[in-house]
Amino acid sequence: METYIIKRDGKKELFTIDKIKNAISKAFLAVGAFATEETLTNILSHLRVSNETTVEDIQNQVEVALMAEGYYQVAKAYMLYRHQHTEDRDTQRRLDFMMNYVQASNAAEGSKFDANANVEHKNIATLIGELPKQGFIRLNRRLLTERIKEMFGKELSDRYMSLLNQHFIYKNDETNLANYCASITMYPWLIGGTKSIGGNATPPHNLKSFCGGFINMVFMVSSMLSGACATPEFLMYMNYFIEQEYGDDYYKRADEIVDLSKKRRTIDKVITDCFQQVVYSLNQPSGARNFQSVFWNISYYDRYYFKSLFENFRFPNGEAPHWESLDWLQRRFMNWFNEERLRCVLTFPVETMALLAENGDIKDKEYGDFTAEMYAKGHSFFTYVSDNADSLSSCCRLRNEITDNGFSYTLGAGGVSTGSKSVLTINLNRAIQYAVRNNIPYQAYIEDVVDLMHKVQLAYNENLKTLQERGMLPLFDAGYINIGRQYLTIGVNGLVEAAEFLGIEIKDSPEYAHFVQEVLGIIEKKNKEYRTKNVMFNCEMIPAENVGVKHAKWDREDGYVVPRDCYNSYFYIVEDTNINVLDRFRLHGRQYIEHLTGGSALHCNLEEHLSQEQYRQLLRVAAIEGCNYFTFNIPNTVCNDCGHIDKRYLKECPHCHSKNVDYLTRVIGYMKRVSNFSEARQKEAAKRYYAEASKAPKCVCE
Amino acid sequence: MKVASFDIVFQEIPGEVTLALNLSNCPCHCPGCHSPHLAEDIGEPLTAELLDGLIARYKGLITCVAFMGGDADPAEVARLAEWIKNHQSPMTNDQSVLRTAWYSGRQQAPECLTAQRSVSETVCQCNGLSGAAGLPFDYVKLGPYIESLGGLKSPTTNQRLYKRVGESWVDITSSFWKKEL
Repeated sequence: METYIIKRDGKKELFTIDKIKNAISKAFLAVGAFATEETLTNILSHLRVSNETTVEDIQNQVEVALMAEGYYQVAKAYMLYRHQHTEDRDTQRRLDFMMNYVQASNAAEGSKFDANANVEHKNIATLIGELPKQGFIRLNRRLLTERIKEMFGKELSDRYMSLLNQHFIYKNDETNLANYCASITMYPWLIGGTKSIGGNATPPHNLKSFCGGFINMVFMVSSMLSGACATPEFLMYMNYFIEQEYGDDYYKRADEIVDLSKKRRTIDKVITDCFQQVVYSLNQPSGARNFQSVFWNISYYDRYYFKSLFENFRFPNGEAPHWESLDWLQRRFMNWFNEERLRCVLTFPVETMALLAENGDIKDKEYGDFTAEMYAKGHSFFTYVSDNADSLSSCCRLRNEITDNGFSYTLGAGGVSTGSKSVLTINLNRAIQYAVRNNIPYQAYIEDVVDLMHKVQLAYNENLKTLQERGMLPLFDAGYINIGRQYLTIGVNGLVEAAEFLGIEIKDSPEYAHFVQEVLGIIEKKNKEYRTKNVMFNCEMIPAENVGVKHAKWDREDGYVVPRDCYNSYFYIVEDTNINVLDRFRLHGRQYIEHLTGGSALHCNLEEHLSQEQYRQLLRVAAIEGCNYFTFNIPNTVCNDCGHIDKRYLKECPHCHSKNVDYLTRVIGYMKRVSNFSEARQKEAAKRYYAEASKAPKCVCE
Repeated sequence: MKVASFDIVFQEIPGEVTLALNLSNCPCHCPGCHSPHLAEDIGEPLTAELLDGLIARYKGLITCVAFMGGDADPAEVARLAEWIKNHQSPMTNDQSVLRTAWYSGRQQAPECLTAQRSVSETVCQCNGLSGAAGLPFDYVKLGPYIESLGGLKSPTTNQRLYKRVGESWVDITSSFWKKEL
């Protein structure tokens, strides 16, 4: 009977003794010896090869056999020979990956490990960034499992790896070494420049050095984070420097010519030139980040938020920030950015408007109207609505409880310095299906997994603390980020799909609300249980990014029920045409998001822009329903032929009438060209249901 | 009268967040109709209770209720619109009362509007209603769908949307043609 062995690539091959003989002979020659037929027979007699023995196993046996026969030097040579081949194979794999990447249709498709990377074009710089990613994943896992073993024992560490490998849980951003995202206070920079974080810049002292220094500072900070960098004080500080230069009433004299050069620029022109410098610079691919641009977020505040956050703030000259001028500057920036986006595809900054709600409406009526006006003008940004100014979303995905609003010179500006250290996500669809199949109450199973996740996060936190103790995290030491205000985040994915599996209809109903509250309540319970004076946890419905696509693929391969190619990042099925716009706000309303302490964003996809009155009413809807974080997403059209950008969702370029058009839409919170998504994400985007404003018949008779 | 489906719409009634009730049994049979199924006898009977339930579900969220069709029984449409006007409690926000709209396909608007008769009279006359001044709508759309002329979004449309402003009606059809943002 013929014996087949299994090669490394899984293929079967007819077993022949000659190949082994050959390899052993070579090993003898390598140490200057010669293997006789008798020696070879003695060595080979130790081997046990049966059908489907693997090559790896046979080689292990050869090593043992050589040593058993006393040929230690030869065994060593044989091991070296094996190691060299392993390295060759590894290099070959990298080479294959490289060639695949070079031939992929776009950068996201080529990226194997972290496809949502904010990279528009692939080139040698992005390739250089891709190559070490697999190494980072291994390194991160090793660091983490070593620490878990030390803190909780080997069993827990093994269970973690097993759950990770079986895709019950997903460790986000494993391809980077840095902590995740942060909303920073720029106060230490304002006082001391970048010296404390390893730079050499002195503090900004005028508008020009503020703008230039700000760009450098954001690049530096971003290189020490794996995710987003939010600068909620950006416009407030800029306002301060404009006031220093042109007077506190500058906004009343915006048309005044203040530039003595031939340009004869007005105050307004000087300011918009600053906007241009900062925004265009920060949208550039960054060398230090593998050609990714930085992920930059800013915030706008209504009068009440501003007061709550910055009432006690003082600039170095002892002055408090001025609302009247900041109000003007916020409006100016937003309008400028909206118009600038017609000239160029600008992803950053991701903007969040923070509004306080009261009695079912926006408390600051002027800002409610202004927000609606900007949406009606086609501007794309997030809105955060809260009943109390005690929480803030300063990041594209992060909601923070502000525990202390007060400004302190030692901690920086109250409330704005925060973030998420690390995100670990549970795949609820798999976890719940697995539990049901194995007759385990799914609540108990989830609780068990979530408990482990907390321990893993604590281990991560210890590693971070060690890095900080060795002076590796200057952002913390210098006060840009307050480690006490940083969260360890438990992410959820596959919630909707799990509910569907359980036969629950995905719509606003007591049954579905109960399921959501029950599942998320388990996580919140654990978050509270593990909270200490130094460690805080939150729970977030993570943006699907590529995780939703990966989970769907893995779960389908393993025989789980998978209703779509990308798991939802929403509480409703994104392609369901029966869920109307108001239902979506309700499904992201207080009943459903109650336990999502880390937030979730409703991306309300619409085919057409609404009027200002309609957006204004939807702000009321958000306030009434308690939907605290949302944006409206109307795909913008970019002409591939003439480059014209239009804020509407069009089939044809209105400028040159070309039908060769692409769309800009939000993925993971960032405006991007659809053709730059990975293929799976493109599929999801195509399926997304953009509520047609005119879905109901224009007339019954029409 | 039966309602085949409902939806929340934005383009049909400018400036409003509208609960649109798609009424079936449409007698118009316009060639090229986008919703021919609404000519059939489908859906649930539209009772005051059903209407009340829907409005309660979106209380404070919608600003307008639109009856899409119902040309087979205009008197019933008017009665239900009247009922809405009389039976709603004040909303919690500063939006005033819930507005009502009727998308009718019956009249040839241009003919009806000659001799400067008010829309409400026109609507009443063409549909055999009484009580012209008290017509319980804030918006009325008139005109059948004529494929060659297009719907309201087409500048060549024969259809007209009127908005009540005080005691008179204003033709706001042109607001559908605004293209740029």
